[in-house]
Amino acid sequence: MKELGKIHQLIIPVFGHNITINLEVILMTWIVFAVLIFLGLFASRKRSILPKPIQALGELIVSLLYELTEDALGKEMAKTYAPLVCALFMFLLLSNWLGIIPHLDEPTKDLNTTLGLGIMGFCIAHYAGIKSKGFKAYIKEYFEPIFFMMPLNLIGELAKIVSISFRLFGNIMGGSIIILVVSYLTYSIVLPPFLNAFFGLFVGTIQAFVFTMLTVVYISVQVK
Amino acid sequence: MAIDVETVVSVAAYAAGGIAMGLGAIGAAIGEGHTAAMANVAISRNTKASGDIFKNMLVGQAVAESASIFALVIAILLLFLDVAVPNLLKAAALLGAGLAMGLGAIGSGIGSGYPSGEACFGISRQPAISPQLTTNMLIGSAVCQTPAIFSMVVALMLMFIDFGNAPLHPTWAAFLGAGLSMGLAAIGSGYGGGLAAGASCEGISRQPKTVANVTTIMLVGQAVSQTPSIFGLLVAFILMFKTFPESTALSASMALLGAGICMGFGGIGPGIGNGMAAEGAVRWVARNVEHAGDLMRIMLVGQAVSQSTAIYAMVVSLVLIFVV
Repeated sequence: MKELGKIHQLIIPVFGHNITINLEVILMTWIVFAVLIFLGLFASRKRSILPKPIQALGELIVSLLYELTEDALGKEMAKTYAPLVCALFMFLLLSNWLGIIPHLDEPTKDLNTTLGLGIMGFCIAHYAGIKSKGFKAYIKEYFEPIFFMMPLNLIGELAKIVSISFRLFGNIMGGSIIILVVSYLTYSIVLPPFLNAFFGLFVGTIQAFVFTMLTVVYISVQVK
Repeated sequence: MAIDVETVVSVAAYAAGGIAMGLGAIGAAIGEGHTAAMANVAISRNTKASGDIFKNMLVGQAVAESASIFALVIAILLLFLDVAVPNLLKAAALLGAGLAMGLGAIGSGIGSGYPSGEACFGISRQPAISPQLTTNMLIGSAVCQTPAIFSMVVALMLMFIDFGNAPLHPTWAAFLGAGLSMGLAAIGSGYGGGLAAGASCEGISRQPKTVANVTTIMLVGQAVSQTPSIFGLLVAFILMFKTFPESTALSASMALLGAGICMGFGGIGPGIGNGMAAEGAVRWVARNVEHAGDLMRIMLVGQAVSQSTAIYAMVVSLVLIFVV
């Protein structure tokens, strides 16, 4: 139980402030990047009309996510945003699945990762909103329905970042804590593989999908 | 009779264990009862599918039970907890952990009963799609359990993180407030998520072709109805990890306790309300799939309006923490 909440950190003092770097999280994120890049390379190398299994897998994933984006954003915008959506979903899926391998941790177990992705989605959604509606109409929306609702509308927008990133973080963190506690209580007999399958594979997939869908929905709300 | 600190801590641990399991048993039992009732109705409508319905009922009840299993894990840990440094602050943290887990399991337990009940009923209507209904039920119930998982995270943090030598006097109230904020705010979100998941099972059984649209809108609706519980989680984190200056005045402690209670109760209504909005949207997407985009947009706008009360509660509790 001692390892609960312990991580390795690199602390660099710069002008009186401490810059803290979570080494393990960065390493795990790089592992996910490497796996994704290799998957992409192998899926797109030696393309043919009769796809090999790995090419078929890549096409399946990309076309599914492309259709989802098209449903929410329309044909024109999907061309711009579908690559982002595919990349986000694949990154989150592999991150959430990484924890089922012993000695590896999910990068999404760290709030910094999820908060970063949440802020990224927020910025993209607002950029898309300004681009499609114009700056004036975008600002005007904050003063709807009456002008003094502005602070609450602003907090409501910022609350979206909190909710989207804490949901992913809480689920992955909660799952890994439950696996740790139950494995400790049962001396790691019988139960851990099933718990890993449920919290790692099943909940991980659902939460990756929810995060991706919400990012798309936030973009579509801003655009329309 | 003098009471030493160790006694106080173990008294707090036992009381918290009792609270966690006692309150945690409420929700799952109600949800499972609802599932069983719907399964009976379903079997009497379509006796040929009774095998499938019975299997689905058992799977659904097992998922609904997980909220109360979380409570059981916390309660057992509390009963056999070995506190390294017993002090009065730890006693308050343990009580907070019990409250968070006990209250937090109520909503998810009741909520998970709805998808499994509707899935049983749906199998009686369309026995051919029973695997699809079971999958959808599992996804809906798993998302329903999220508020209970948040509560468990807060409870475990309160139990195992060493808060060192934080000043006793406002901090004990902060820990109790963190537990109440998370536990109470999870009730509405768990229940609301269940309403949306139940409507999706019903919708799929009426119109199996719409399964992709229904599942997507269900997930978005559930995610938005979980937002109040995430506000509760945020307030609980701030109350746990902010260092408060020592003050023996009662008002400082009560402000922190009040912040937790404000966010907790303030989160119940919006959670249920957002769940109702999602339920309506999901139910009607299945009947009128051409207008899925419109329904989703109106659902989100409606939820944003009913969410605003949760935002008021969060603003007041942040003012209580940072300003007062």
